Amino acid sequence: MNARRIGRAMLGALAMLGGTATVAPGQRSVQGSVQIGRADHRIVASDALVAASGTLFGAAVDLTIDQRFDVHGEVSGGHLATGPAASLDDHDIAEAQLRAGMRLRPWLTVQTALDMRSYANSLARQHWTTWRVGAEARVPLGFETVGAVVRGYWIPVASVSGLPQPDLALAAAVGVEWRGQRLGVSALYSFERYDFPPQSGTRRLEELATFRVGASLHRP
Amino acid sequence: MRRLVVAALLVVIPGVAAAQGNTAEQLDQAARYHADLDVERELVLLRRIISPNSPFVVTHEQRVLAYKYLGAALVVSGRRDSAIVYFSAALERDPFVDLEPQKFTPAELAAFADARRLTFGLGIRAVPFDTLDPRTERLGITVLATHAADIHVELRTTNAPAGVVLYQGITDGPRELQWDGLIADGHLAPTGRYELFLSGVSRLSHRADSVRLYFSVQQEHAPLEDTLPALRPDEVLPEQHSAGIARAELLKGLGIAAGALLIPRTLANGDLHGGGRALATGIAVTASGAGIAGFVFRQRHREISANVAANARRRAEHAAANAAIRDRNQQRLAQTRLIVAPAAGVGP
Repeated sequence: MNARRIGRAMLGALAMLGGTATVAPGQRSVQGSVQIGRADHRIVASDALVAASGTLFGAAVDLTIDQRFDVHGEVSGGHLATGPAASLDDHDIAEAQLRAGMRLRPWLTVQTALDMRSYANSLARQHWTTWRVGAEARVPLGFETVGAVVRGYWIPVASVSGLPQPDLALAAAVGVEWRGQRLGVSALYSFERYDFPPQSGTRRLEELATFRVGASLHRP
Repeated sequence: MRRLVVAALLVVIPGVAAAQGNTAEQLDQAARYHADLDVERELVLLRRIISPNSPFVVTHEQRVLAYKYLGAALVVSGRRDSAIVYFSAALERDPFVDLEPQKFTPAELAAFADARRLTFGLGIRAVPFDTLDPRTERLGITVLATHAADIHVELRTTNAPAGVVLYQGITDGPRELQWDGLIADGHLAPTGRYELFLSGVSRLSHRADSVRLYFSVQQEHAPLEDTLPALRPDEVLPEQHSAGIARAELLKGLGIAAGALLIPRTLANGDLHGGGRALATGIAVTASGAGIAGFVFRQRHREISANVAANARRRAEHAAANAAIRDRNQQRLAQTRLIVAPAAGVGP
């Protein structure tokens, strides 16, 4: 069941990307960025709260076509620790995201994204595959080169190894960007919430919040 | 009543035509008498023409011709002094009058030359209808002094105190002058009425004389294009934000900050006691800072750079279009031709 939904999600994402690929060659711009940030990963399982945090590093590439379509690829990873001392609950996070968007208005873009994430420690590895749909709104902030970005996603498909499909999965993000002639700087807070259905009388809840600062270089 | 007027015209018009015809016929007859040396009949005929009691209409040219033949006839009849008087009368009325050597005897020519020495007159030959290209052609003007004189020929618009001096110096008899179509400041003569003023002082009698000739000049060129009118206010983009923009920027920044703070408080599950509130606070501080900075910036800079640039581009295009129109007009003006026509009196 999950595999089928993921397959449909991937087909949808590919169709969207295919749509962007069929756009006649026009004005294209490419942007590359590096990111550093902080992640806060919280899990409630078996009524026990595990909170791990750590530093994330990442890189991303954006391709904008005709000022209307954009494709975003991003990889990031880091080590999340529950405390100063090493613990079995410490784990690494690695994530890859492929996101496509179509601009409906100069300030509004609809987006879909396919995420593949892995949490791993010395004992186990958990794979996450999610598909999300949502929208991004951009708001200029005083300066013509500074703007705010607000994102909201519904995650209809979340395939997690060893876990059922969550009852509730959503994500949101708020950020501020400065974009100069060639360089850009951004700060983005993102939040994801996953509520899994009860199993054996216990309910698993999971959240991942990140704050990332990025520097980008774009070529018109 | 209308019939009466028509009848009167039918009576009067042939009479006038006949009178003119009669004077011309009499002059032709007098010329024939002069050629046949029938001086007595010639004198009778010519005196009848110049008489105030002549029943015929005598034009200015016919009167001058009559005086000329009278002078010549009197030379033949041995009354040279009287001949000079009549020659002088002819010269005073038309300084351009002359005796053709093939028609008149040396004695008549000599008497006429004496009359010219005794009579001082200046003349300008009427300017004919003409169209000239000032780049390659000139307007010919003939002035004349009956004998040696210091003359001054000047061309000016009818209301201008000074104009272009076409000639200044000594002349005796006719002198051909040329006008290149330019006025004193070097520009092409604009459309209008012009006065050709000839003044002079005789070198023999020290008498002064002057004469004026009026003519009109009209510039002829291909129709000129109108330049584009100045950009209207509704054709340019607003270049400044409204006064409330700074406050709006502040509110936007604070709104984004509030949104960031609300996410962990509304979307997060309370059982997790987290949601990255500290992280959200970081972005809230950043957004608030951007909002405050935007507020300060917009207080000091309300211009809309994109619109300013767009308006500048539009104004530049507008100016370029006008410059192109002016260039094309300049090219057309450079090919201006002047239409010259005689004019009467001091025009309006």
